[in-house]
Amino acid sequence: MTLFRKAPSIESMADIPDDESWRDWFQHYGPKLLLCARQWTRSVADAEDVVQDAFVRFWRNQRKLGGEPQALLYTSVRRAAIDLARRNSRRTAREVRADGGLESIEPIFHLPLEGDDRRAEIETALRGLPEEQREVLVLKIWGELTFEQIAAQLGLPPNTAASRYRYALAALRDALTAADCHG
Amino acid sequence: MDNDLQELEAELKRLRPLAPSRAVTDAIARQLAAAPRRHRNFWAWTALPLAAMVAGLVLLREQSVAPAPTPALALAPAPVTAPMSAAARYKPVSAENLLYAQSDAGLVTLSDGTQARRTRSSYVDTITWKNSRTQASLKWSVPRTEERIVPVSFQ
Repeated sequence: MTLFRKAPSIESMADIPDDESWRDWFQHYGPKLLLCARQWTRSVADAEDVVQDAFVRFWRNQRKLGGEPQALLYTSVRRAAIDLARRNSRRTAREVRADGGLESIEPIFHLPLEGDDRRAEIETALRGLPEEQREVLVLKIWGELTFEQIAAQLGLPPNTAASRYRYALAALRDALTAADCHG
Repeated sequence: MDNDLQELEAELKRLRPLAPSRAVTDAIARQLAAAPRRHRNFWAWTALPLAAMVAGLVLLREQSVAPAPTPALALAPAPVTAPMSAAARYKPVSAENLLYAQSDAGLVTLSDGTQARRTRSSYVDTITWKNSRTQASLKWSVPRTEERIVPVSFQ
């Protein structure tokens, strides 16, 4: 079963004028970008703002650069999240109301065919991971980046990114096994 | 990697992250439909780094050109080298936007009479190209100022 529609080809994207073609691209990559943004922001609303900023910036200024647009987009999302965090830190405490990024009880994934319980268990286990493991896992599984690209994003050696990924998977497996035993 | 980890990896890949809300798509549509705002001093700010980049490229080109052969050497057949496009060797590897200043430019009244706040953010955009063959890299940084008008009711 194909979960996503095939994304528009990257090569042809540079020739596309600024028309409505961005919608197909956003439909494909928007959910993945949002998931990544939620790791680096305090709320779902903040994550959506970050995705919006990063995508507009990418579409206007960076998509015609060639190279790896997916990696450029994740860089843009991360930078936008860092900028937002700086802006938030300047707000007064009254204005800062976190409804939680990945820490919140907001669902992260669509309901899979197997049912809601398994999805909830996975989401809980994912939230329980150390942040540095979770961001590598998310960028690898749903961002579909290579370890080299993840390493470049996070400023890590590629081997460290690969190790964190394996630790994250093992920790998830242990958490899910424990949940099955108790559930 | 263990089989059970591979199964877990496959299970995770089957999960679909939730999509951004409709409001995000609408906001992107509005922003892309509007002409991009350029700061008044955009070309003034851009000219200097652009000139530096062009000068750097010219310098590189000058250095790579072989000196004119002496008459004695000119008798020897010239070495044949495949033409190579410099642009094809460099690929963009990162694009960063660093926020270095932000200021509140006060309240403005929109056309429908509502109050909005104008904020001004200053960034440095840096794009890096890399030549995977020689590991050489080229960075282009340009300052950018962005103005946002946010309705007060949303703050």
